[in-house]
Amino acid sequence: MEYYLRSSFVALGLLILQTTFVPFLSIQGYVPDLLLIWVVYFAIRRGQLEATVAGFSAGLLQDLVTTQFLGLAAFSKTIAGFAAGYFYNENNTEQTLSSYRFVLVVLLCSVLHNVIYFAIFLQGGEGSLVTGLLESTVATSIYTVALGVLPMFAFARKHGFASLS
Amino acid sequence: MLQRLYNLLLLFREYVVLSVLLLVSLTLLALNDNPQMKRIRGITAVVFGVVQERLAVFPRYIGLRRENDELRRINIELADEVNQLREARLENIRLRQLLGLKESSPYGLVAAKVIGKNLTLLRNTITLNVGTRDSVVDGMPVVGDGGLVGVISHASEQYSIVRVLLNTDFRASAKVQRSRVDGIIAWDGRSLLLTNITKTLDVRPGDVVITSEYSTTYPPNIRIGVVNDVQEQTGLLFKKVSVTPGVDFVKLEEVFVMKYRPDPERRVLEQQATQRPRR
Repeated sequence: MEYYLRSSFVALGLLILQTTFVPFLSIQGYVPDLLLIWVVYFAIRRGQLEATVAGFSAGLLQDLVTTQFLGLAAFSKTIAGFAAGYFYNENNTEQTLSSYRFVLVVLLCSVLHNVIYFAIFLQGGEGSLVTGLLESTVATSIYTVALGVLPMFAFARKHGFASLS
Repeated sequence: MLQRLYNLLLLFREYVVLSVLLLVSLTLLALNDNPQMKRIRGITAVVFGVVQERLAVFPRYIGLRRENDELRRINIELADEVNQLREARLENIRLRQLLGLKESSPYGLVAAKVIGKNLTLLRNTITLNVGTRDSVVDGMPVVGDGGLVGVISHASEQYSIVRVLLNTDFRASAKVQRSRVDGIIAWDGRSLLLTNITKTLDVRPGDVVITSEYSTTYPPNIRIGVVNDVQEQTGLLFKKVSVTPGVDFVKLEEVFVMKYRPDPERRVLEQQATQRPRR
């Protein structure tokens, strides 16, 4: 219970950061997704079921705060959390979190999340949907992965660096 | 059963939770009314339309029998309705004709419905739904839109019997409207005849036969029918004149009873004249 409470506070803190500080880090309008990194982390720590719920909750909170497109972040983060849950391994949690495997999972989930998110978000806009989708997905995913490296290093420092294998 | 379902849900709990949460998310998405959602709704409608069109063939075959039964039921209902409307239309026509008759008649008329018919006998009658309660008494003439129907032979409080033209006991003084030739109209069991027409008198097929002023039972100038055949009978003084009644007794449904009573003074005088001994 304490763990869930702590995780909720962390998620809230990340949400505040995401909406206040992260926009200052935007490059060409693209920003990293801190909440997605948290969802992936949660999936590797707790498993698929909880990651799915965490993805939904984080996304819904994000939707409520940004009031941009209600349900969109919840939808895409639920799927991302579910996908990240496939990389859960009870016996290898620390190794995964402290290796490039974590970065790889963040990349995969980020691509999946952003494809879904932008495929809906860019509907009805001007210009080519495919180009916009590709551009937004690649840029946001790379930026998110770049930030995802930070927790990996933090874990590697704490538990020792692990290789991909 | 419930336990098995619970076990199944437990086994696939990740997928169940995912489905539920995606459903909630999609519901929230659907609540939006921004351009993106409008566009997605448009795409969804097109995709669903195409899929439905492709799949429509299955429910069509599956529901064909039920649809057929339903259509058959509707068809019967509509046919019944059409019949009722047709009936109402015909009744309307008949009543309009009767109304015209009522307006043109100088005598009081009592509208009546034919509630019974005996038209297969030598002494044919019809039964009306009016009686002495409606001021109908024996001896009153009965007319329809086609002309003379007969005469009231018996009247009870609520009903009355009409001795129609097609009755061997029926007699009426009649005349040919065109040539003013007089005769007696009577039914011989097979056809309606204008009798007492000598060979020298002018009667032709197509002539209209009406009641004559000589009748003590019927008012004059009521149409009886049309002459359809005139036969010269060898060895006899009279022609055989067949008349088609103006009234179609088979279809007859509404009639009027004429509140006509013969002048009693005339009747008494004529009776006295016929009973006076010859000198």
